[in-house]
Amino acid sequence: MIPRPSSRRPDENFFIVAHDIKYVYEGGIEALKGVNLRIKSGDFIAIVGGNGSGKTTLAKNLIGLLRPTSGSVDVAGNRAEKMTVAELAHFVGYAFQNPDHQLFSGTVEEEVRFGPRNLGMPDAEVSKKADHAIALMGLQNLKSEQPLSLTLGLRRKVSIASVIAMDPQVIILDEPTTGLDAEEIADLMTSIRALNEEGHTLILITHDMRLVAQHAKRVIIMANGRILLDSDPPGAFSDLGLLRSSKLEPPPVTQLAHSLAEFGIPKDIATAEALVESIISARSGRP
Amino acid sequence: MTGFMDLYTEGNTFLHRTDPRVKILAVLFLSALALIIGSLEYLLALLAFILLLLALGRATLAKTFFALKLVLRVMVLIVILWPFFNPSGSPVLFEYGIIKITEPGIVSGITVAVRIACLASVWYILMFTTTQRDLLRALVKLGLRFDFGLTLAIALRFLPTFGAIVNSIKDAQRARGMEFDRGSLVKRSKNYVAVLVPTIVSALRTAETLSLALQSRAYGARKDRTYLRDLNMRPADYATLAFFSLLLILPVFAKYVLQVSI
Repeated sequence: MIPRPSSRRPDENFFIVAHDIKYVYEGGIEALKGVNLRIKSGDFIAIVGGNGSGKTTLAKNLIGLLRPTSGSVDVAGNRAEKMTVAELAHFVGYAFQNPDHQLFSGTVEEEVRFGPRNLGMPDAEVSKKADHAIALMGLQNLKSEQPLSLTLGLRRKVSIASVIAMDPQVIILDEPTTGLDAEEIADLMTSIRALNEEGHTLILITHDMRLVAQHAKRVIIMANGRILLDSDPPGAFSDLGLLRSSKLEPPPVTQLAHSLAEFGIPKDIATAEALVESIISARSGRP
Repeated sequence: MTGFMDLYTEGNTFLHRTDPRVKILAVLFLSALALIIGSLEYLLALLAFILLLLALGRATLAKTFFALKLVLRVMVLIVILWPFFNPSGSPVLFEYGIIKITEPGIVSGITVAVRIACLASVWYILMFTTTQRDLLRALVKLGLRFDFGLTLAIALRFLPTFGAIVNSIKDAQRARGMEFDRGSLVKRSKNYVAVLVPTIVSALRTAETLSLALQSRAYGARKDRTYLRDLNMRPADYATLAFFSLLLILPVFAKYVLQVSI
């Protein structure tokens, strides 16, 4: 029903390109003050920043739920402004922060099939994509459960599965770990990593800096409607002042590394493994 | 929905300061007056008086027009249709077959339209100058059960919240390729299930949390409540009440006792 727009790719390297987008909400709040962004296929990007920094507004501009007040967005080589949200949904999926805002079906399977059916996929393909999404999120045993009766962690998995089933190249996850316990987070992140390894581009909107340090390949720090820093995780964590000015706290391991700076430990440490390595090399480097 | 929420205009005018109970009574008296008055001239005078009160309450022209826009269509319809269905009196202006239009028919159509304008706009005197909190406190003081008042207050308080939730739900489903304005009627109504179910679920979850929150703050622990801010009638409020009472009593006296046509 909704024809998949052909993807022309004048710039093979970048799947999404945002040119100087500004967004002003009704009522005059300037949520984005000129954002430039190029997103490579297969990347794992974390967008971090304090509340009200423009993370969600930026993400909504990428899928056309909000249209930039000025500037433009290219998705798969097409101008996003010329496509409807449903057409853009072929390329960009968006799992909302609150899964309860999207679950409505009687069974998990029905729920997951809703998106691909909307895109007009033939039945066989719908089943294939839905089964794959359900398997990826580890929901095989819950296929005939009522989604709304599941725990928050599982509801969130269902909502993410229902986006994966549409098979978009880019998947935006808006604070997927809020309200989950450590085990649920680890479980969810394993599935999300698998998704990235399959070739999907992931955009993770989060406050959780440990998550960023462990999983992201690229970190975008936003503050006040602008991109403050765009780098790999170690680089993003080396400037404590910058992090704190954007209302962020670096992961504990990075803070530890900063405290150990006088012993020759570098400041751009993002994971426990990296810290262990640098401690070992700092020791062995000593006479 | 949000239009309704925005009705109150911040201000410190005479009307803002008047006790909300007096305002409620005044509005009821003026409404009764609009129903009693039969002549177009007096109704126009009443409408002018109501608009004057709105202006005194700092209602801007734009806001007053927004308020009247809601009934404008009904008014136009009545003015056009009334003469066709009320072909009484003379002089007859136009006659063709069963269609007959008389001058009194046209006048009474306009009269009814003006009466509706009065009845609709008079409530804005109250709504533009009274906060929801004061309005509910007044209703409770006038005899509404406190639980009902609280229920109403919560309902009004959550309207914008639910507006935002519905928008978020719609966005979430649009991101899943759903299109609200395409497809057959059956498909569209099926689509609305995808919005309706999450809305109801969110509403129930919110209601449950809210009732627990109320209970945990000892709601209903005592039958007799005390209030942080009580309503007190000032001399000016009594004077205002007397003024609006006279405004109703005098025409009633004139019409039903003295048999003066008004």
